[in-house]
Amino acid sequence: MDTATHMLRTGRRGTLFEAQMALRDLRTSVERIDLARSLAWHDVVSRYRGSILGPLWITLSMGLMILGIGVLWGGLFRVPVHEFVPLVAVGIVFFGFVTTTINEGCDTFVQAAGMLSQTALPMFTFVWRTVLRNLINLGHHVVIVGAVLVWAGLWAGANYPAAALGFIFLVINVAWISMLVAIISARFRDIPQAVASVTQAAAIMTPVYWPPDRIPEKYRWILDFNPFYHLLQAVRAPLIGKAVEPHSYLVLALMALIGWGLVFSLFANTRRRIVHYL
Amino acid sequence: MTNVSISCRDLSLRFPVYGVDAKSLKKHLAKIAVGGKLGSHHGSTEVTAISGLNLELKAGDRLGLIGHNGSGKTTLLRALSGAYEPDEGSIEVNGHIAALLDLSLGIDPTATGFDNIRLRGRIAGLTAKQVDERLDEIAEFSGLGPFLAMPVKTYSAGMQARLAFAAATAVEADVLLMDEWIAVGDADFQKLAHRRLLKLVERAGILVLASHDVELLRLYCNKVMRMEGGVASPVTDIKKLDELMAA
Repeated sequence: MDTATHMLRTGRRGTLFEAQMALRDLRTSVERIDLARSLAWHDVVSRYRGSILGPLWITLSMGLMILGIGVLWGGLFRVPVHEFVPLVAVGIVFFGFVTTTINEGCDTFVQAAGMLSQTALPMFTFVWRTVLRNLINLGHHVVIVGAVLVWAGLWAGANYPAAALGFIFLVINVAWISMLVAIISARFRDIPQAVASVTQAAAIMTPVYWPPDRIPEKYRWILDFNPFYHLLQAVRAPLIGKAVEPHSYLVLALMALIGWGLVFSLFANTRRRIVHYL
Repeated sequence: MTNVSISCRDLSLRFPVYGVDAKSLKKHLAKIAVGGKLGSHHGSTEVTAISGLNLELKAGDRLGLIGHNGSGKTTLLRALSGAYEPDEGSIEVNGHIAALLDLSLGIDPTATGFDNIRLRGRIAGLTAKQVDERLDEIAEFSGLGPFLAMPVKTYSAGMQARLAFAAATAVEADVLLMDEWIAVGDADFQKLAHRRLLKLVERAGILVLASHDVELLRLYCNKVMRMEGGVASPVTDIKKLDELMAA
């Protein structure tokens, strides 16, 4: 069911036409962003129906993990607790957003099979649904970040505009990755497992649970070539009173451009087929 | 809306069949690795669901689709709803489309009746405000009363059907697409449902109804098209249904 009162669908008419149709899908999804938001809210509410704390359960378990890792590992790394806990807290909360948005991206189209096969809803709507759902959950977890920053006395010195800028970069990049895995997972059912392995490995390779400045100079490349490191640092560094390295922004901007270019052309080429994959 | 229309020209739709095997990445990579060998089977993995279909409908047309299972009726309805893209040819539809293909679309068993009505309305393209305006009417029609505040999983099958039907039919449509005439619930509700559907059909400019029931088609349609193996007969008057079936 489409709100539009005119619909024209044709066979393939070349690359340019396919790109235009993909762009139209994107435009309609933005015009109807309200629908994506309703679906996202519905997801959050229905997942935690019957529970009193709802998404705050995840917040609570994150809090415990932060407490455990922050205190214990802080001791192991010999970093003062007031320095280490904020690092881990901001890291776990925002990196959690990155990994769940990507992991749940695998289900974006698979889960929407019923709707996609009998309505003309834009496919992008379901990508936004996944991203918005995770943003709503993040909204709950951010409480931890606030509490920890206040406790550590970092809240006054934090550079919020820079963190907001970094967060925008983060969301733009996570969204294309989420859409990429959504398309590929619809076609190849091995992908969700592979994605889960990659995000899990990324959580270890990225300084989420360990201080990035502890890495020896000769292993520095592990950070520089890790896109997740730049994603995380752009948000975390300004919040804990550190500066973002300028080349991180360059990496993130390039990643967003190339990533969205890649995903959009993949979408333009597979848009007609996705519903048949399901 | 007077210029409601449906126009299909040389419409062809093919389904690639992605078997359990083909969905595995390993097989796909193996296919690339061994090149042409497996690739030669590629042609056989497509099923032609509709081929070379031409269809012109205007306001007032009530088209019945008849044909065996797998003849392409549902595929045509899905293509008309905009879910399936044509492989060749074109589909042009003027007017609001409402597709009643699957009543359970978007029904979440853990959510309450009210939440499901809202969700269904949003999927159908209504704004939050429009849904709220219709909520009372839908609730009353469903006859579920206080149960609407309870999760749908506590409903009996008949109650679920009532809810789904009430929510799905609370739309305004110029073009109504239906897969089988949906009669649900107990005898009382069936009568109500029947009247509501008739009203919906009257309001809609065009109805396309797929059914195996010849008597039903005679009752609601003024034109009929027979599909067989993805190929459609010309659109004929419903009075010639017997000749069409005999052909």
